[in-house]
Amino acid sequence: MSTQPFDTPPYGVPRTAPPGVLRTDGEPLLELENVSRVYGEEIEVYALRDVSLRILPGEFMSIVGPSGSGKSTMLGLLGVLDLPTSGTIRVAGQDVSTLDDPTRSKLRGNSIGFVFQQFHLIPHLTALGNVETALLYRDIAPRDRRERAYHALDQLGLSARADHRPVQMSGGEQQRVALARAIVTDPLMILADEPTGALDSANAAHVLDIFRSLESAERAVVMVTHDPTVAGTARRKVSMRDGRIVADEQRVEATT
Amino acid sequence: MNQIGDLVGVAWSGLKARKIRTLLIMLGPIIGVAAMVSAVGLTESAKGALQAQLSQLGTNLVIAQAGGTFGSQNPTFPSNAVQRVENVSTVTGASATSNLSGVISIPIQGASGYYQAFPVPVRAADDELPSVLQVPLLDGRWLSTADTRLHLRSVVLGEGIAKQYGYLPGETRTIRLNNSNFGVVGVLGAVALDPELDNAAFVTQWAAKHVLGTNGRPNQLYIRAVPGSTQATANAIPTAISLGGTNQVSTQIPTDILQAAAQANKTLQQVALLAGLLALTVGGIGIANVMSISVIQRSAEIGIRRAVGHSRSKIGAQFLLESLFVGILGGIIGAILGVAVVYGVSAFAGWVVVIAYREIPIWMGLALLVSVSAGLYPSIKAARLEPLETLRLG
Repeated sequence: MSTQPFDTPPYGVPRTAPPGVLRTDGEPLLELENVSRVYGEEIEVYALRDVSLRILPGEFMSIVGPSGSGKSTMLGLLGVLDLPTSGTIRVAGQDVSTLDDPTRSKLRGNSIGFVFQQFHLIPHLTALGNVETALLYRDIAPRDRRERAYHALDQLGLSARADHRPVQMSGGEQQRVALARAIVTDPLMILADEPTGALDSANAAHVLDIFRSLESAERAVVMVTHDPTVAGTARRKVSMRDGRIVADEQRVEATT
Repeated sequence: MNQIGDLVGVAWSGLKARKIRTLLIMLGPIIGVAAMVSAVGLTESAKGALQAQLSQLGTNLVIAQAGGTFGSQNPTFPSNAVQRVENVSTVTGASATSNLSGVISIPIQGASGYYQAFPVPVRAADDELPSVLQVPLLDGRWLSTADTRLHLRSVVLGEGIAKQYGYLPGETRTIRLNNSNFGVVGVLGAVALDPELDNAAFVTQWAAKHVLGTNGRPNQLYIRAVPGSTQATANAIPTAISLGGTNQVSTQIPTDILQAAAQANKTLQQVALLAGLLALTVGGIGIANVMSISVIQRSAEIGIRRAVGHSRSKIGAQFLLESLFVGILGGIIGAILGVAVVYGVSAFAGWVVVIAYREIPIWMGLALLVSVSAGLYPSIKAARLEPLETLRLG
């Protein structure tokens, strides 16, 4: 069972893959194999129909599509918040359907960093407290936890905001706190749901810059969006319609 | 260990973030425990003075009274009744007295009319009476064997009669009993177990026989028993005195009456306890109610926590711990409040505070139990919440 907390090395120290987690280049971080998600019992509604997708380390990808295309369902499945009706989802080589809730929760916490459109910070906690939330129940000493959370905030230029509550911060700042919460566990994959949807253009641009800076050889960044600008930032664009993937394009970058 | 620490921190911050709400749901356990602590405390404290007195007096005094066969007047004991009683192994001390009826007592030379109309009860007593009663002398000394041997006409006044006669401590006073002069040698303190003695004058058995002209036989015995065997002793005494003879003896344990009087009003106590229990139950329903609503209000928080990797059981434990804290804190505050109420009312009413501190943890435990069971359903609901539905993705 490779549920060893993924955060054993202190943040910032070059990490090595923990035992049991597949990190080899070319091995998918996350793999969907003939996945369908059906809602309803008497009248079956296919939110996702026979979808296969591989997300590799180092990928920067967007999932686009009109509303009702199955984006949200896809997000839930990619984030291990939901399970497929049929088909297989493997995260770091593990079939998530076979895991019990505590193990799946641990896998989710260790492998995936979420960023939401509505930021989704816990209102009664400070910026630091919100980032620390992602490090709870991992047998980390409170002092280390605080230090790592502060470091993540500092990386995103929010060290001065550490003691502020969400209501005391602007939307852009809140989304950066959410980003700090997503990266503090050093996940395999950042999964963002319309990350700039609630931001003005200046803040949106800033947040997108940060997403670009999060690219690394080991980590994948996945953004679910309907915004062409956001989608255009990514190097791979997966288009969805009616619960199916209709296009999967790699953007060819001009290298100079 | 760290995980439990994390859980405590999370639950605590959740309560701290909603202080008013937390205080409101804490009111249930607070009022419940406070009601139960003060209910028992107040009903006991109302009788606290009596209870304190009782424990001071000791409950091992037996009074034996000579009862004649039906119709006979002035029944008496045999003159060696004290020795007979002391043969009972559980008796630690005994003293005999006899009531002298119709003795006219005049407190000062020349006073007459009024005092003749109201004769004072005079008692012949032996040397042991104050030590058996465990009552100190307020002034002077008790009757002694010297008084008997030297045929001194000494008298000791009860506390009440000393007051009535205006006797001053240390005063040299001669009073007249049936036209004989008696010198006051002391004043006996108040006898809580037999207040009749407070209004009596005590003379030696010699004086009773030879000066006041009675037969000098005792008709009332005061007996101390080994603590714990008072009732058995009281039962044994009639046989010990009569020794198969015709003497009729009735015994009485004066503290039984006091004890009954010192008994807290149990019915009132039970009603108040029931009210406290009711407050606790209603409080529990309140906790369940507010927590259920809280789970819905905090569904986004639950979704976030699930997204960052907190398991269902951790979410459930978080909410259960919140209700546990409500129960613990509410219980502590309620207990403090209840004790404060008892002290406050007792100070106002002039009672002696009696609080059964050993019972308080029971009420507190009850509050805890109610709070945790009330939090059970909301916690399960929180754990079962689907993060996907609460986060509104897409």
